[in-house]
Amino acid sequence: MREFLSIKNVDLSFNKKDLKISILKGLNLKVKEGDLIAITGASGSGKTSLLRTICGLESPSNGEIILDNLILFNNEISLPTEKRNIGLVVQEKVLFPHLNAKENIEFGISNKKNKKQLSNEMMERLKIIKLAEKYPHELSGGESQRVALARSIVMKPKLLMFDEPFTGLDKELKIEIYPEIKSILEDSNITSLMVSHDLNEVKALADKCFYLKSGKLAEI
Amino acid sequence: MVELKKLSPWHFLILFTAGIFLTPILFIASSLFLGFSDNFYHLYNNLLFEYSLNSIYLVLGVSLLVVILGVSTAWLVTFFNFSGKKFFQWALILPLAVPPYLLAYIFTEFFDYSGTANNILRNIFNTNSDAIFFPNIRTITGAILVFGFTLYPYVYMVSRVALMNIPSSIIEASVLLGKNSIFTFFHLSIPLIRPAIIAGVALVAMETLADFGAVEHFAIPTFTTGIFRTWTGLYDINTALQLSTLLLLVIFIFLAIEKNSRSQIRYANSAITNNSYKPVQLTGFNNVLVFFLCFIPVFIGFLLPVLELINWSSQMDILVSSKTLVAASNTLYIALSSAALTCLMSLLINFIVRSFGISQIVNDLLSLGYAVPGLILAVGITKMFTSIDTWLDFDIIITGSIIGLILAYIIKSYAITNNVINSAYSSIPISLDESAYTLRTSKFKLFKNIHLPLLKTGIITAFLLIMAELIKELPATLILRPFNFDTLSVSVYLLASEERMFEAAFPSLVIIIFGLIPIYFLNKLILSNNK
Repeated sequence: MREFLSIKNVDLSFNKKDLKISILKGLNLKVKEGDLIAITGASGSGKTSLLRTICGLESPSNGEIILDNLILFNNEISLPTEKRNIGLVVQEKVLFPHLNAKENIEFGISNKKNKKQLSNEMMERLKIIKLAEKYPHELSGGESQRVALARSIVMKPKLLMFDEPFTGLDKELKIEIYPEIKSILEDSNITSLMVSHDLNEVKALADKCFYLKSGKLAEI
Repeated sequence: MVELKKLSPWHFLILFTAGIFLTPILFIASSLFLGFSDNFYHLYNNLLFEYSLNSIYLVLGVSLLVVILGVSTAWLVTFFNFSGKKFFQWALILPLAVPPYLLAYIFTEFFDYSGTANNILRNIFNTNSDAIFFPNIRTITGAILVFGFTLYPYVYMVSRVALMNIPSSIIEASVLLGKNSIFTFFHLSIPLIRPAIIAGVALVAMETLADFGAVEHFAIPTFTTGIFRTWTGLYDINTALQLSTLLLLVIFIFLAIEKNSRSQIRYANSAITNNSYKPVQLTGFNNVLVFFLCFIPVFIGFLLPVLELINWSSQMDILVSSKTLVAASNTLYIALSSAALTCLMSLLINFIVRSFGISQIVNDLLSLGYAVPGLILAVGITKMFTSIDTWLDFDIIITGSIIGLILAYIIKSYAITNNVINSAYSSIPISLDESAYTLRTSKFKLFKNIHLPLLKTGIITAFLLIMAELIKELPATLILRPFNFDTLSVSVYLLASEERMFEAAFPSLVIIIFGLIPIYFLNKLILSNNK
């Protein structure tokens, strides 16, 4: 399969007062189309920053990011997040509080004709159809995570990234939904990156696993 | 720092807005470099000392009165249970709805030789109609009373919040050491809430120095009346601007004191936990005494003027004259449009600041206008507009239009709007924006579909607060209104200056009713702090 995501020599640093803290140092990564890659690493190693950099929420100081032959970032171009076609599911509550679950899922769908059908299909697959009319404050942590997941997957992004998205879910539910998620991603041929510290989760979902240390990735 | 090549049209929009907001102030300050005329030397030699002395006397007197009224009532409703406490908790803020100039007009009429106060006492003591029980109110002492009873809620509110934040353990420790409530109040509570008191007093001092309506009605020569007379009497706008600069310098000193004290309040609060003290139940004489101590400021600052206005209104054959109707519709038109524009600007600027990572200093800078007295702002805007008219050879097309008044309203009320909208924006997690971006949402769609619905309550609150402020605004309106464009506050001013208070009663009541809107929100704010 062809190389779908290519990250070359990416440097990312933050300025904290007068101190410059390097997070990513010449990081490289190549991902094939349809693969699900897991990234693990110690707390504060920069896993979340890497995902934020790929989707354009952080600006690296150097390097190149290419997705499906489209330059997302290099020293001259920096495509805004909304134009990168990358989904991100995070562990914080990010559902829009004034919209119910169904409306949250439909939020990003631009095709007005299929909106309802697409969101219903996704809710059924992720077993959240009964939550459709509920508002975010009426959902548990696990339910919110599944709605957020459905909202991202239904967009059929070129790249879907998960930042420890299953943290709030109980063990039984995780075992139940892992195969379902894997099947949805495979059916849709969505390439994915997942940050997780749960090795069982990594084994159940990922095709490859990398360890992030000192700003660089190493395959394990 | 933002690199020049990275500046977007949004950055330029902010720069342009800041330019418009700050230019009137720059026009005022630049007057110091234009040389001093004979009028200035005349004022300097004959009147400036009197202006300064009266202003100092006013600020000192009002500060003392607001501390006595504000701190004592805040202490009573926080640490004691007594009859009517629930009512006084919010009623003590009510005088804020009465602008000082209105109370000045009402007091003048009420304590007049033939006013209600003297008539009541003449009836009680059955004396002849020549008997006068009250001295002339149109003095500096009278002005101190007027400002004191209308502005003490500023000190009451900050003191009350600060007192509620004193941990119960501190008060209980004092009681366990055998100290009574009065000793604890003077030796513990007051030192602990001192930054809050100073912040409140600084705000009151700024309001007192900025006032025009009350001191003008009482014929007390102060900086604001001096500026007005220099401009409208001597037709010397430069000298008026130079006087304005001096007053502005003093006001900015109070602004710095207020800001500094507020930062100390935050520092003090961060070190303590909020576990409120169980109030002491008062009975018998103490209960009655405390009831009256809280009742007096509410009565003088709110109930008395409102009752007297209702009394005067009821004596009118025609309650709402056609002139009042026109003034009311003008007021609504100008206040609604200015409030809508201010909210729109604040929304836009807060969105740009949030979405493009621009420093909040922009908002602080744009909020400076609230400290500039309406009269001074009006002089600055007039100078700016006459310069533009002269430059474009427009006669007085811009100066004579309503644009100046709307601009003054926006500059004056931006700080209030920004406080509300900025805090509403802060409650929306940035992760929601990021989430929307990953769902291919454009900035416009994010603003329209996510921010606007979530900010709805904040926008309505800000809108109502500005409306209430603008409806009672007098000095800027008086100067910048187009010809034959009277608002409610201007009508009241003109009628009061002709001593036609009965006719002014109804529009005055409307101003007070609108003034009650912020009271509702302020009370909610204090109660939420208590929870």
